[in-house]
Amino acid sequence: MAEAMTNLATKNLSESDQGKEIVSSIGMIVALISFGMLFATLMMGFAMFRFTAPVWPPDGMVKPSLFLPSLSTLCIFLSSLSYIWFEKNIANKKGLILTIVLGLGFMFMQSLLWHQLRSQGIFTSSGIFPSIIYAFTWIHAIHIMAALGLLFWLLFFALNKINTKALLLASSVGKFWHFLGIVWFIMFLTIFVL
Amino acid sequence: MAFFEQHIHDAPTTFLSKYVFSFDHKVIAKQFLWYGIAFLGLGGMMAMMIRWTLAFPGEPFPIVGHFLFPNTNGVVPPDTYAMLFTLHGTIMIFYAITPILIGAFGNFCIPLMIGARDMVFPTLNMLSFWLAVLSAVILLASLFTPLGAAAGGWVSYPTLSTLIGSPGVGQTLWCLAIFVLGASSTMGAINYIATIITLRAPGMGYFDMPLTVWGLWLTAILNALFLPVLGAGVLLLMFDRVFGTTFFLAGAAATTGSGDPVLFQHVFWIFGHPEVYILILPAWGIVSDLLSFFSRKPAFGAKATALSMTSITVLSTVVYGHHMYTTQMSPLLTQSFMMLTMVISIPSAIFFANWLGTLWKGSIRLATPMLFALGVVFVFGLGGLTGLYLATVSTDLYLHDTYFVVGHFHYTMAASVLLGGFAGTYFWFPKMFGRMLNERLGKIHFWISMIGLNGVFMGMMVVGYAGMHRRIYNPFVYEFLHKLIPLNMFITYSAIFMGFGQLFFVYNFVYSIWNGPKATQNPWEVGTLEWTIPSPAPHYNFDVIPVVKCGPHEFANPNLKGRDFQYQTEELA
Repeated sequence: MAEAMTNLATKNLSESDQGKEIVSSIGMIVALISFGMLFATLMMGFAMFRFTAPVWPPDGMVKPSLFLPSLSTLCIFLSSLSYIWFEKNIANKKGLILTIVLGLGFMFMQSLLWHQLRSQGIFTSSGIFPSIIYAFTWIHAIHIMAALGLLFWLLFFALNKINTKALLLASSVGKFWHFLGIVWFIMFLTIFVL
Repeated sequence: MAFFEQHIHDAPTTFLSKYVFSFDHKVIAKQFLWYGIAFLGLGGMMAMMIRWTLAFPGEPFPIVGHFLFPNTNGVVPPDTYAMLFTLHGTIMIFYAITPILIGAFGNFCIPLMIGARDMVFPTLNMLSFWLAVLSAVILLASLFTPLGAAAGGWVSYPTLSTLIGSPGVGQTLWCLAIFVLGASSTMGAINYIATIITLRAPGMGYFDMPLTVWGLWLTAILNALFLPVLGAGVLLLMFDRVFGTTFFLAGAAATTGSGDPVLFQHVFWIFGHPEVYILILPAWGIVSDLLSFFSRKPAFGAKATALSMTSITVLSTVVYGHHMYTTQMSPLLTQSFMMLTMVISIPSAIFFANWLGTLWKGSIRLATPMLFALGVVFVFGLGGLTGLYLATVSTDLYLHDTYFVVGHFHYTMAASVLLGGFAGTYFWFPKMFGRMLNERLGKIHFWISMIGLNGVFMGMMVVGYAGMHRRIYNPFVYEFLHKLIPLNMFITYSAIFMGFGQLFFVYNFVYSIWNGPKATQNPWEVGTLEWTIPSPAPHYNFDVIPVVKCGPHEFANPNLKGRDFQYQTEELA
């Protein structure tokens, strides 16, 4: 049994399973392109505001401190790494649990960030820069929550029986999770650092 | 080509699993068809009210007017008029054409025409339909909110659509409905793209696919790419309305730290121009196939048609600026967008010439689907040519926001797509329901629709050229438009005539589902894969996955004995 699992995990798939793998990859990649267009549109809007402003941030606002966003970035980066570790041996759920914990950590950091902004008197209606920070992080956070839901689903239901389907699900969810990590990194770089 | 073979599952037995929450692509296609036809009726009624107001300002709308607008004695009030043209556009584009052309024909034709047993992700398919239902419920609910439904035009430009322009909850619900519908369509698109790539029958290369599938595939690609762009736009608009962000609030752009309404226009048209092609590409595909099927000739330059549709798909993503010539855009940009827009004429001319080449010297059978396909050739030709005047900056500055624009896009998006949709409905009805539609009623329906819609849309272009603006409640308060009242009455009479003609279709459709003559396996004598199986298509389509040996348009081959077509599963004669 254990051997069979390792075989599956090393992607030693039969021909029809290979077909299914290609199908699920194509589906997930197209889906990620769609999600990517959503975020790309947001970034386009941001770029327009950013490049037409004589000073940035506008209105004499100061950028929020980098401390919390950096912690968020660290969390999500490590969670992606732990997911890669988990995908190496799907029968061992420690990597998955670690990913979930780090993902929850990311959400915690984000809520601290929102709290910090609010306590500084920065609200959604305070101008275009706060609008961008709040709206973009919210939209990203909604996706993170959905992805966390999928991770919990993997943990409690989908991986009970380790077969090709479970492997493909784990790989698809993984693609989504890494994608959200990349999106966050771009947001972190463009909105908070630069 | 097929990456794996789908198993044959048992047919569902309970009512719920068979007709409501069905995974079967054919049932989902029919659900989308009914959904689309219902909204087509609703959107059509709204169009009637708009037309009535324009032809007979201040007169009560006949029959239902007193019931709908009791406070004004049956006259359409101005604010309701704004809601009507907003919802007419929204409903026709997102809730009528999209479900019929993409939801119904996409779901029905793709697996059958490429020799698959179902879509590759059946659950996603079902989810896509039910999300569309949810979206429709949200949109219809917005009609009953205190300040009424969205009234900022189907484009919902800020500031008309921000809390300043439309304070009611209707506009927020509109944004939500569009967002949910976008998610639904994106799901469908993912399904179509993956299905066409992975489930084509063995032996079917991309150029052996019928052009209908090409059109639907390119549409799905545009959908997957550009619906999320609109999604982002309406999401931010919703945030502006609900959470008080300032993305689209007027101000001196970013200098004062406030938002920029024009940004929404950019986002909207980055989506909006591909959307035009999202709607028309399936119709082009259907027409390209039908012209060949009923001319009993191979499609002239089928490969060139497919490739020119592909290049239009690519070009459609870089021309959106021609919707915004009058919005402080730099002349340098307007010139570039004009150039790019004009370039689209080249591939369009190629496939249009191919259509004519297909007809040339064919033994044309004027069955109802063919009549509708020929109708598309005519109205799309007109719609395409009038587009040139709007692509040119110098003429567009005059014609912008006039009824000329309305006439133009109704010719391309409404007339062509509607006729294309009807052509498809008449053509695939036997395979969908196993019965034939009545040919005589179909022909009456065609001629009434054709004459009616040309009266309406040609009239619109004329009044637009004369200077009548769109979206104005009563244009005739302006002296220079007084002389246009008779022409507007003519348009309205044409619209009523056309609307009346649709009753023939409704009767024919509903009657024939149960009482039409039984259809044979291949009533139109064509060779694509869906006609190799019984009518109506059995559950799970193909007992044995077919092996494709030739293209979809093999007609009039002199080596053929006894018939003038051959199936795609047969070796080329």
